[in-house]
Amino acid sequence: MAASSASKLFRAGRSLLGGLKDPNGSIGMSKDLPRSYLFSQQQRTFIQMRTNLKVVDNSGAKRVMCIQALKGKRGARLGDMIVASVKEAQPGGKVKKGQVVYGVVVRAAMQRGRSDGSEIKFDDNAVVLVNKQGEPIGTRVFGPVPHELRKKKHVKILSLAEHIA
Amino acid sequence: MWSAVRCRTLSSAVQQWRQRQPGPTLLNRAFCSSSVVTEDQSPDNNNGKSRSSREFLNLEEVQKVLSDVKADDVQVIPVPKNYDFADYMVIATGRSDWHVRNIAQALIYKVKQKQKGAKRMLLPSVEGQEGGKWIVIDSGSLVIHALDEKVRAYYNLEKLWSSGTSDDEQTQDLDKAFIKVRRKNNSKKRPQASA
Repeated sequence: MAASSASKLFRAGRSLLGGLKDPNGSIGMSKDLPRSYLFSQQQRTFIQMRTNLKVVDNSGAKRVMCIQALKGKRGARLGDMIVASVKEAQPGGKVKKGQVVYGVVVRAAMQRGRSDGSEIKFDDNAVVLVNKQGEPIGTRVFGPVPHELRKKKHVKILSLAEHIA
Repeated sequence: MWSAVRCRTLSSAVQQWRQRQPGPTLLNRAFCSSSVVTEDQSPDNNNGKSRSSREFLNLEEVQKVLSDVKADDVQVIPVPKNYDFADYMVIATGRSDWHVRNIAQALIYKVKQKQKGAKRMLLPSVEGQEGGKWIVIDSGSLVIHALDEKVRAYYNLEKLWSSGTSDDEQTQDLDKAFIKVRRKNNSKKRPQASA
């Protein structure tokens, strides 16, 4: 069941480079870590305008591009709602290409801290299409979804999910 | 200090509670004190699952309220054990938008009645109040869905939660099922031109 979902999720403890946020400026400071380690760690950031996201429900759309993150100055994170434009859709679906839809981010490459100190991050950016009231347009959600949706009042999406991380 | 000791012993349970607590975030000590208060206040409700009785409503109370409100087709689905999400899901149908909203309000009223006199009232979170098609009341281990008839047929929650994830694989492979695969024709023979 979990093998069917293509995205892997990582749970990291408190990140090593907790204080150093930008890898470009910190190369001079950390002499004990090898340079390759810093280069291999990619700094993931928020979901903002022009971000492509995968659609993981059966509403008919395949890919959307974010137009606006409704909350947050720097962008949307896991569990936030975004406005997106459908870039690629299945022929017989409920949404068409070029339509402007709302979506809830269910998987994000940027890590999100949990209340017990651990962090969760996924392999890809994925979204579930909803209407303005927050009701999902599709009827099933594929792949793992995190617990954070519960706190953000998206229990409907959790109840349609096939695997809860 | 006694509440702090109590907090440490209940740390795992409180953490689970906190993960499930959909309301506003409270401090750690506030959580411990609230859990101690509700335990003392309802000693007679410890039948069956102790966790669900300590939280907002019992399964029997929910069913009684739903039958009072005349909700149609009440179904209780026990969630399989590997899901950490909830223990029971209750699905009820309302005859109209107003009826669905009434079901949600009746349940919240019952919760308020039960917690009358407590210093701090913890209410379950309600989603979907504006459009009355699908209202979810999330009280930790018990999740109650109040739906319209058409919405219930559209989302089909029972099929998802009773039979597990086998149905999802089917819907995903449906697009592949309709693709016709032609056999590779590697023969050098010319096709027959005459009709």
